[in-house]
Amino acid sequence: MFNLDRKLIISASVAAAVAVFTGCMSGSSAEPKGAAVTADGKPTIDGGVYYPVVDGKTGPYYVNPQVAIDAKKIYNGRAPTPNELKAWDKDLMPDGTGYPEGSGSVEEGEALYEAQCVMCHGDFGSGGGGYPALSKGNGYELKKTLKNNRYRNADGDGPTRVIGSYWPKVSTLWWYIQDGMPHPMSKTLTIDETYALTAYMLNINEIEYEGEVIDEEFVLDREKMMKIVLPNNDGFIPNIDGPTGPDDVRAFYADPNNFGAKKVNPAERCMKDCLEPTAKVTYIAGAGIAEFLPPMATERSLPKTEESNGGPKKAYEESCMMCHADASMGAPAVGDAKAWASVTAKGMDAVYHNGINGINGMPPKGGADLSDADFKSVVDYMISQSK
Amino acid sequence: MDNKKSNHEIDVNKRDFFRKTAALSVTALAGTSLLSSNARADDPAIMHHVPWGQKWGDPVTKNRYGVPSAYEHNVTRRNTKLLASGNYRASIAVTPIHESMGIITPNGLFFSRSHGGVAHVDPNMYRLMIHGLVEKPIVLTLEQLKKYPSVTRTHFIECPANGGQEWRGPQFNSVQFAKGFMSSAEWTGVYIKTILEDLGLKPEARWMLAEGSDNSEMGRTVPVEKVLDDAMIVWGQNGEALRPEQGYPVRLLLPGWEGNLCVKWLKRLEFATEPWYCKEETSKYTALKPGGKAIQHFYANEVNSTVTSPSPEIPWTNLKEGDIVEIEGLAWSGMGTITGVDISFDGGNSYVPASLKGLVLPKSWTRWSYMYTIPKDFQVNGKQIILASRAMDDAGYIQPTIDEETAIMGVESVYHRNAVETWEVTATGEVNHVQLRS
Repeated sequence: MFNLDRKLIISASVAAAVAVFTGCMSGSSAEPKGAAVTADGKPTIDGGVYYPVVDGKTGPYYVNPQVAIDAKKIYNGRAPTPNELKAWDKDLMPDGTGYPEGSGSVEEGEALYEAQCVMCHGDFGSGGGGYPALSKGNGYELKKTLKNNRYRNADGDGPTRVIGSYWPKVSTLWWYIQDGMPHPMSKTLTIDETYALTAYMLNINEIEYEGEVIDEEFVLDREKMMKIVLPNNDGFIPNIDGPTGPDDVRAFYADPNNFGAKKVNPAERCMKDCLEPTAKVTYIAGAGIAEFLPPMATERSLPKTEESNGGPKKAYEESCMMCHADASMGAPAVGDAKAWASVTAKGMDAVYHNGINGINGMPPKGGADLSDADFKSVVDYMISQSK
Repeated sequence: MDNKKSNHEIDVNKRDFFRKTAALSVTALAGTSLLSSNARADDPAIMHHVPWGQKWGDPVTKNRYGVPSAYEHNVTRRNTKLLASGNYRASIAVTPIHESMGIITPNGLFFSRSHGGVAHVDPNMYRLMIHGLVEKPIVLTLEQLKKYPSVTRTHFIECPANGGQEWRGPQFNSVQFAKGFMSSAEWTGVYIKTILEDLGLKPEARWMLAEGSDNSEMGRTVPVEKVLDDAMIVWGQNGEALRPEQGYPVRLLLPGWEGNLCVKWLKRLEFATEPWYCKEETSKYTALKPGGKAIQHFYANEVNSTVTSPSPEIPWTNLKEGDIVEIEGLAWSGMGTITGVDISFDGGNSYVPASLKGLVLPKSWTRWSYMYTIPKDFQVNGKQIILASRAMDDAGYIQPTIDEETAIMGVESVYHRNAVETWEVTATGEVNHVQLRS
């Protein structure tokens, strides 16, 4: 348990040392200066300064000294129950901590993907609609593209950062699918389904298991997942693992050259001829990115129309269009009279019911946060646009 | 004065006023003294009663929670399709910093970034669980959490991708989009170190997982050193509860560090010896360098600054030679306190010191200012003005040039771009976002 009194004493002594070192610690009215070292006497972990509490202040802020004494006695919550811990403590760590028992095959994963994921992530994880690509082919080959840098080679290929080429840990993949996917209705996949989808992701990225490329027959489970090392496992700096992790991070940020920062003695900073002689004015190519919503304006005027909730058209554009704009997602396309005729042939009650509860790859209400009545008006709007 | 004058008549008078004034300006240029002239048109905004001066205003019972004047409707967060998932749930809306005043962002304009949409948490169902390597794990309700002694601190929060679309060249002719992935507020909450005094952190703890309760269960790993320094759990933003976009009812605040680390809708803190590898600290929020390795755990937003006035949004087109104008901007550093800002009129080749103004606080937006006399055709030494600002902090850092930063980081990093920003003023006073690079 970390010792408050010891820390306070150390803070004060560090502050005193800083004061002696800089020679600028004047009367008690001065604000305590930032120090380059923390209470432990080490450089800060982020390369920044540390503001010790000196004379009842940290930086410009006064602190109540009673807090540090009385905090120990506040405990006014309760311990979590074992079941509550089980319900919330579901993270995975790369060493296998948290990997649940279960299994799923590539084949099952592909079927799940086609039903629940393809509408956003595209065929075989190719991406689209603003959602990230999950694969661009063989992860081991694509890892080599991480050295592509369009620095002074503007027309060259850039790096490809997808699961197979970039992600370091398979635990991250399983964990995020389980917690965050599918996007409109997360935390609905079973453990076995999550293993299946993870297996399918490994398959489309052509990841190897025990020297063999993961094929469609592959079944992933807890033990196998612990043995999978992704191609870019060693692609990140600084080291964060093991007992030296925090100190390795500290050492990394102690050198501005590691992360593109620049330190200078203020008195010696450049005041003229600071640019490279080769530096030229570069303008935005074409209009650049100029599609701002709402459009840029600074005039003071009354809004032309009062903002409303936008009605069914806006709700359609926000939540439905992604899959219903055309037939490529397997959903009836707005504007396709024939497709909608076969939907409405079931009767409008069935259409509403299916839409509200979800059907095939469609999440309940398409993932939109609408009342049943508002949702029905969106369905009516879509049908009205398809006659 | 005719109290019954219709709005139409006032409009006609206004037109006359501007016409006469314009005519007089021409005359003035021709040498006639304007000061001696009684012929200057009278301003109808003064000469006639204004509608709001003669009618009842709203009763105090209207707008129990106040809203801005309807005339301010253009001062708003904005988004662009290129920075969004298909339906704006994993997306960002950015702050109109060209309209910002002082060092506080109003809560309704604070930039909004989420990974699964803005969650609406029922505060009665809110629970915070703190467990792992602590002597006394705990579950707290919101009411219980708020019983810990609070502190109030002013800090900016910046998305580390602020400016990240412009590694390879300028793309946004807008300071809102080029630099508005950040905002600043006065936050109220509790230092996590205060709670840990109570719970007892075990000495072998090196890392903390912070997890949100939103649709994406946003999680990040934080080193214990930051937790025991100035990390806060906050529930207050500019004197009221956090807005839903900022994680209502509770978010993590790691002063100066990547906005993404300041997990919103916070539900769980777990302490462990080894780090987690969350999705947003591997697939994203890592900075790829030219050698093919990427920086992970890239915590602090480095020293940075920009001119905010003038801007492409609010240019100098209404100014002429000899006019005196205040150039203003923001400076900020996640590594400490701003110690100075220099301003350049030639794109960052030469600098003079600008003045800091107002409160200068650690890890906070800091205002800077420079009084300037407009030169002919907005030119200096025969070249169009290119404004640039360069900030320094008490950790000893200074903003690099674009060439200096890209020489180390290349152009594929996405995150943590803090090179000097430059704004060209054209002969007519328009302002364009440009870059000076080799």
